[in-house]
Amino acid sequence: MATAAAQAGHHAHDDHKPSFFARWFLSTNHKDIGTLYLLFAFCAGIIGAFLSFGIRMEMEEPGLQYFSNPATYNVFVTGHGLIMVFFMVMPALIGGFGNWFVPLMIGAPDMAFPRMNNISFWLTVAGFCSLLCSLFVEGAPGASGAGTGWTVYPPLSTVGHPGPAVDFAIFALHLSGAGSILGAINFITTILNMRAPGMTLHKMPLFAWAELVTAFLLLLSLPVLAGAITMLLTDRNFGTTFFDPAGGGDPILYQHLFWFFGHPEVYIMILPAFGIVSHIIATFSRKPVFGYLAMAYAMVAIGVVGFVVWAHHMYTVGLSLQTQSYFVFATMVIAVPTGVKIFSWIATMWGGSIRFTAAMHWAVGFIFLFTVGGVTGVVLANSAVDKYLHDTYYVVAHFHYVLSLGAVFIIFAGVYYWFPKMTGYVIPEWAGKLHFWLAFIGANVLFFPMHFLGLAGMPRRYADYPDAFAPWHRVATWGGHIFALGMIVFVIGVILAFRSKVRAADNPWGEGATTLEWTLSSPPPFHQFETLPRIVDEPGYH
Amino acid sequence: MAEAHAKNHDFHILSPSPWPLIGAFSGFLMAFGAVFWMKSLQIGTLLPGPYIFGAGTIGVLYTMFSWWKDVVHEANSGDHTRVVQLHHRYGMMMFIASEVMFFVAWFWAYFEAALYTADPIQATRVDFTGGVWPPKGIEAFDPWHLPLLNTLILLTSGTTITWAHHALLNGDRKGLKYGLWLTIILGVLFTACQAYEYHHAAFGFSGSIYSSTFFMATGFHGAHVIIGTIFLAVCLLRTYAGQFTPRQHLGFEFAAWYWHFVDVVWLFLFAAIYVWGSGVGHGAH
Amino acid sequence: AGIGQPEPWQMDRQVPVTENARDILSFEVGLHWLSVAISVFVLGLIIYCIYRFSEKANPTPSKTTHNTLIEVAWTIVPVLILVAVAIPSFRLLRTQLSDPKADVLVKVIGHAWYWSYEYPADQGGGFAFDANLDEDKQPRLLGTDNDMVVPVNKIVKIQVTAADVLHSWAMPSFGFKIDAVPGRLNQFWFKADREGTYHGQCSELCGQRHAYMPITVRVVSDEAYAQWLTEAKTKYARIDDGSKFAEAR
Ligand code: HEA
Ligand code: HEA
Ligand code: CUA
Ligand SMILES: [Cu+2]
Repeated sequence: MATAAAQAGHHAHDDHKPSFFARWFLSTNHKDIGTLYLLFAFCAGIIGAFLSFGIRMEMEEPGLQYFSNPATYNVFVTGHGLIMVFFMVMPALIGGFGNWFVPLMIGAPDMAFPRMNNISFWLTVAGFCSLLCSLFVEGAPGASGAGTGWTVYPPLSTVGHPGPAVDFAIFALHLSGAGSILGAINFITTILNMRAPGMTLHKMPLFAWAELVTAFLLLLSLPVLAGAITMLLTDRNFGTTFFDPAGGGDPILYQHLFWFFGHPEVYIMILPAFGIVSHIIATFSRKPVFGYLAMAYAMVAIGVVGFVVWAHHMYTVGLSLQTQSYFVFATMVIAVPTGVKIFSWIATMWGGSIRFTAAMHWAVGFIFLFTVGGVTGVVLANSAVDKYLHDTYYVVAHFHYVLSLGAVFIIFAGVYYWFPKMTGYVIPEWAGKLHFWLAFIGANVLFFPMHFLGLAGMPRRYADYPDAFAPWHRVATWGGHIFALGMIVFVIGVILAFRSKVRAADNPWGEGATTLEWTLSSPPPFHQFETLPRIVDEPGYH
Repeated sequence: MAEAHAKNHDFHILSPSPWPLIGAFSGFLMAFGAVFWMKSLQIGTLLPGPYIFGAGTIGVLYTMFSWWKDVVHEANSGDHTRVVQLHHRYGMMMFIASEVMFFVAWFWAYFEAALYTADPIQATRVDFTGGVWPPKGIEAFDPWHLPLLNTLILLTSGTTITWAHHALLNGDRKGLKYGLWLTIILGVLFTACQAYEYHHAAFGFSGSIYSSTFFMATGFHGAHVIIGTIFLAVCLLRTYAGQFTPRQHLGFEFAAWYWHFVDVVWLFLFAAIYVWGSGVGHGAH
Repeated sequence: AGIGQPEPWQMDRQVPVTENARDILSFEVGLHWLSVAISVFVLGLIIYCIYRFSEKANPTPSKTTHNTLIEVAWTIVPVLILVAVAIPSFRLLRTQLSDPKADVLVKVIGHAWYWSYEYPADQGGGFAFDANLDEDKQPRLLGTDNDMVVPVNKIVKIQVTAADVLHSWAMPSFGFKIDAVPGRLNQFWFKADREGTYHGQCSELCGQRHAYMPITVRVVSDEAYAQWLTEAKTKYARIDDGSKFAEAR
């Protein structure tokens, strides 16, 4: 798809960039906002990781080591879950990479609503501040912070937490949720209306497809969460009884509403990653994506089916046989389009001429680890089996394989892939590869034993546990240390990139990199595509 | 290239704007103040909640005003090319779609309670409701009094806004103003009736799933009516300022869409909560 | 694997002591082999690609982007696998959620942070007691001061609810857990066919002492059960039929 795009390229110094404050605080530029999102996600990720190391330190031994009050442990777990989900993965994959590369890939000069784009970001920050506030005020009696789990189930989040911490947490979700809805509107409008002349939907890069589907999931699921947490808020403060059986309400209602959002949410976290993987695999295999259309529609299918499987998180609440059977069936259906994606990635590599760059390491590692996380998801989908595994560490293992070893792996893959484009500098390849191996080994040592713990019966969200679980917990914590070491290598790599100032080529990855961003300079001009690129039909793109 | 910034496309590239930052910060203040207020938190001996909340609200309103003023200004200075207008249409449609999903949550809560009153597994609820809907002890509104009137008001307002729209398209400024005035009056009338109805409700706000679902669902609808009325009022002011043309009047169109959306939500509320949910079907009256 | 409690380095389920739990276990073992097979298959393909199609081994990439046959295959084969999984899965679920006639009925109430049990009068019970964590008992965190006692080889039905926040009554040896929800009376049954002491733990986050409200069930012979009932009647607080045992489900 090499096209007539690069002209404006090397005139970066001509860009009339706003002053520092205007540029970074009042921005209306999709790349700058993308950068802000990435920096924010990084900071939030460090805080989320810090909390997870608090968890792992405590879990290293049975008994209470660091948390004199187990309620504080619950606060750590809650904060960790909320931060990783809402303030690390989503800002990085959607706000960060989405903002940066959706316009570039579809040949657009910016997002459809550049100013609204910025309030999406600042609302995320506002939400994060609200969450931080919650840590320092009373939640459960006698303890500060919200210890409700990221799911914020009532009545623990209502009568169980009379203090203001949960109110702050609720507003954190309201604020960042509003930001995400506006962001979703922005992405949908941009992708549907701002594709360069000649770029039909069926020629659009898969990352844009991924963000399009993700945006629809956000748009349709987040308002339901907003409703649910508003009910929590009024139950807590204004005497409504949505979730209070004494007034005719039902705690299970909250779970339905939450998971109607919560399950699409997990695909919101993984679909953008699916998009990025496709490009990395194709680029470094020097082959077009295999089965492009099937790949795009598989994501659409995952998105659609993702809306009707929510109660697989609720197999133990006492649903009827018919209801449970339906959700078993619907949940398993999702394995099919996901399998299409896995196999199409492998088929993209098949017959290719593969270069093992750092980004490629992460992408290939992802395919395998995501499969492992996915198949344990299918195990959990079977209600009869889940009656045992629900709320054990088996579930923790499942979702860290798809999140920490899935979504996060692809955040790093994306960084290594696009860093030269975004900054114009090059991270040394050795750093990326070393980081990968430390993360790969560390994360498996960290999370694989959790399957065993879950099978042996170890419940989730436990600050203290019977001694028999100690050995595997110890192993897991060691794995966490290895994972952390990898993070240090990552930071070193980034620092080296900025210090050595090795300039990146416009297209550092060669002929496999066919999407439009590689036709621009590295970094791209402040305003790209002042003349829209025209997409010529290139056979073999799909 | 002598002219580095030859913009050869119709998209809208904006210069930096303070409103997002101010708006988000004010939103945070609102949340912060609301928590302080609801929980009567003190700083020293002060109860700052209402003030912080008020400051945040003012900030949000100020942001909305200034931001949309900028938008109007940009529209008037020709930044809203055809494609940018299309963006706005998509944006508004998507926004309404998200609002629909927000109401889904409230309807979900309502039906979960209204349909499953006598499920033996939910023992406490059965005790509370007596196995019937509306729950025992609740005297629901007669749907054929005020609620019916309100339905008629909203339906009429749907036609008056369409009248205004047609007048606008045909360059009939007078018709436009009449149509808008009427719609706004009907909107205010609806809100007044609703307020009267709330005032005369035979059940309180707290302590019951019936009043929770009733007041929160109709209350959020009412809030949307008020927002829609303000939106229309802004359109009226802009009409007097001579801003809408038969070719370009997105602000008006969106107000109309929004009004129709509010109207449709009401029809569902009326059918589900007032008619079906008042027990008229099983002869409570 | 441990019986009634976990063991250090354990990698599989605790030993099931009900028929349904055993059936589910063998189904789950099958699922795990399937999972391993799929993962190894994917890993194998990846490794093959890494060696066979590296830059060095294959300098000129092919341009293949479609192969209808294989695309249909990798859609249909997972569908078939999933159908094969679903059939036994539904069957097990149906048994698990069936509603056989109960020999013994026990009402279980979750409190923050202990469990209480009620044995109805019409079954030789008529008493209620609380089960708190007993710090002195081994295994640590799993022992209760008062155990729930049920007869072996009898269908025991539990009706579970909660007094304050959510809890979950979990018993790995019986292969299930059931949430204790305020306002709801959830019901589950089991038929333990092996005498012994079985431990479980609260499995729904319920606040500060979530980790400290274990569940201990002693499965005993009919005679021992009868004897326990007599003792319990004097030892524990009497309840009249005031407490509600719903005919749920
Ligand atoms: C990125 C996030 C993500 C993703 C992608 C998934 C994907 C899946 N998840 Fe997961 N899940 C979570 C995040 C995610 N999940 C989280 C966070 C929780 C816990 C929430 C909480 O309680 O806090 C959770 C919990 C959870 C539960 C509830 C467990 C419990 O609490 O008891 C279940 C049950 O059905 C489940 C199932 C699945 C399934 C079937 C998939 C499928 O989409 C997986 C599909 C993929 C594959 C199957 C692999 C590739 C396919 C092939 C190679 C083809 C061949 C395969 C077969 C024929 C099987 N998940
Ligand atoms: C994306 C989601 C995500 C991620 C990445 C992680 C990462 C980790 N998680 Fe966790 N976790 C959750 C989501 C996630 N987690 C959720 C939802 C829960 C449930 C909460 C609940 O029960 O309510 C949970 C619960 C949970 C538990 C269970 C606690 C309990 O039940 O008692 C544990 C225990 O060990 C744990 C550990 C860890 C560890 C050691 C990591 C380590 O992998 C962390 C290592 C560090 C990193 C992976 C780097 C982080 C990324 C960055 C710094 C950003 C980089 C960004 C750019 C470059 C732009 N997590
Ligand atoms: Cu009770 Cu957890
Ligand atoms: Cu799910």
